[in-house]
Amino acid sequence: MFSKKMVIILGAVALIVVNIIILSANSGRYSSYGSGRTVFFLIAPFQKTVTQSIQFFKKIWGHYFFLISVAKENDNLKKAISHAIDENNKYREIEISNFRLRNLLNFRKTMNSKVIVAEVIGQAPSFWFKTIIIDKGKSDGVKKGLPVVVPEGIAGQVIDVSCNYSKVLLIIDRNSAVDALVQRTRDRGLIKGQSDGRCLSKYVLRKHDIKVGDTVVSSGLDGVFPKGLRVGYISEIVKPDSGIFQEVTVTPYIDFEKLEEVLVVLDPPKHDFLSKQ
Amino acid sequence: MTYCFYICASLCLIIFQTTIIPHIPLFNNFYDLLIPFIIYLGLFRPAREGILFILVSGFLMDNLSGGPFGLYLTTYLWLFIVVKLIIKYLHARNNILLLFIVAAGVLMENLIFIVSIFLSIPDSQFLAITIRTVIFQILWGVCTGFFLLTFFNHIHNKLQKWFNKLIDEKS
Repeated sequence: MFSKKMVIILGAVALIVVNIIILSANSGRYSSYGSGRTVFFLIAPFQKTVTQSIQFFKKIWGHYFFLISVAKENDNLKKAISHAIDENNKYREIEISNFRLRNLLNFRKTMNSKVIVAEVIGQAPSFWFKTIIIDKGKSDGVKKGLPVVVPEGIAGQVIDVSCNYSKVLLIIDRNSAVDALVQRTRDRGLIKGQSDGRCLSKYVLRKHDIKVGDTVVSSGLDGVFPKGLRVGYISEIVKPDSGIFQEVTVTPYIDFEKLEEVLVVLDPPKHDFLSKQ
Repeated sequence: MTYCFYICASLCLIIFQTTIIPHIPLFNNFYDLLIPFIIYLGLFRPAREGILFILVSGFLMDNLSGGPFGLYLTTYLWLFIVVKLIIKYLHARNNILLLFIVAAGVLMENLIFIVSIFLSIPDSQFLAITIRTVIFQILWGVCTGFFLLTFFNHIHNKLQKWFNKLIDEKS
């Protein structure tokens, strides 16, 4: 009754209709009717493995390139940090230097004498002798015997001068001597250097009432250092059983290890007895 | 070439010990760096070569130091003479000699300084810190002397070889 061709067409149409009906019936809910679990059980581990492997290689690949850029960025950042630290250090150094120079300038203003600022460029090569080299010499008006001071007190005396440089004997050197007096009691003594960075005040009479902590200032009677400049403070007093003098140790206010700039007094006050000689 | 090396080495050592070392707290008690160099000259170099250098470096140090003029010159000269006398009896490359000779040199320099200070200031007091400093300097000498002597010898030989090669190439 129907040709073969007609049967195929009708079969196909019926299949489509049935298919549409089934799809329409299932469109409201999702169910794999238990088969899904089995499929997952069989396939999912492989999927997982493959996916993870891909992700792994993808990560490696991505990180490799990422790391290259990160490494480059890291290098740049390190350079930037290093530069910033360097700059920061420079500014800090300038700040400290500024503070120190302001201090020196303020001190300079308080001095009646003509002074010149000099930079310390070298220290004595030996433990036994305490000298420094400064960057001012004859051409700047520096002469042998001129006093060298800092805001904290007396530093030393010029002992050798060249055209542009000078050698300064510090007050802590054994060969140095400063005529000084105790600020509170006005008792005199001779400050001599010791090798341990402190000084001894010699010829201080036993009867003098001096105490640890008293400030010692220059008397001006040695004809070298201006009167009233601080030398140090009394750190130790020993009264021996015999003798007319007491042993007085004076610790300078200056930290000679950290001396960077000094003032050379170009026209120290002259005493009459010196000019008469 | 040799004299050029001596001048450069002495200048470097003097500048290093007057400008850099004072700022390094670890080296507060370090000894005079020219001592190992003078000992090196005494041990390994002919007398006529070393003597000029010793006079120049002693003069330089005397000018930089606050001590009596001629003190370093005297010290270096005596050190050189003593080393030259020692190597008449001991081999210059004797390891024990190399290990202790710088320390002995440091001790010798300090003794000369002490004598000179006593001569100029007879009532000088030597405190515990002075003795401690001398001991530290000697210990530094023991620890570093051998290496410095070897280093000077090595550098000098290298420079000498390089210079000879340069001359050969030009001729």
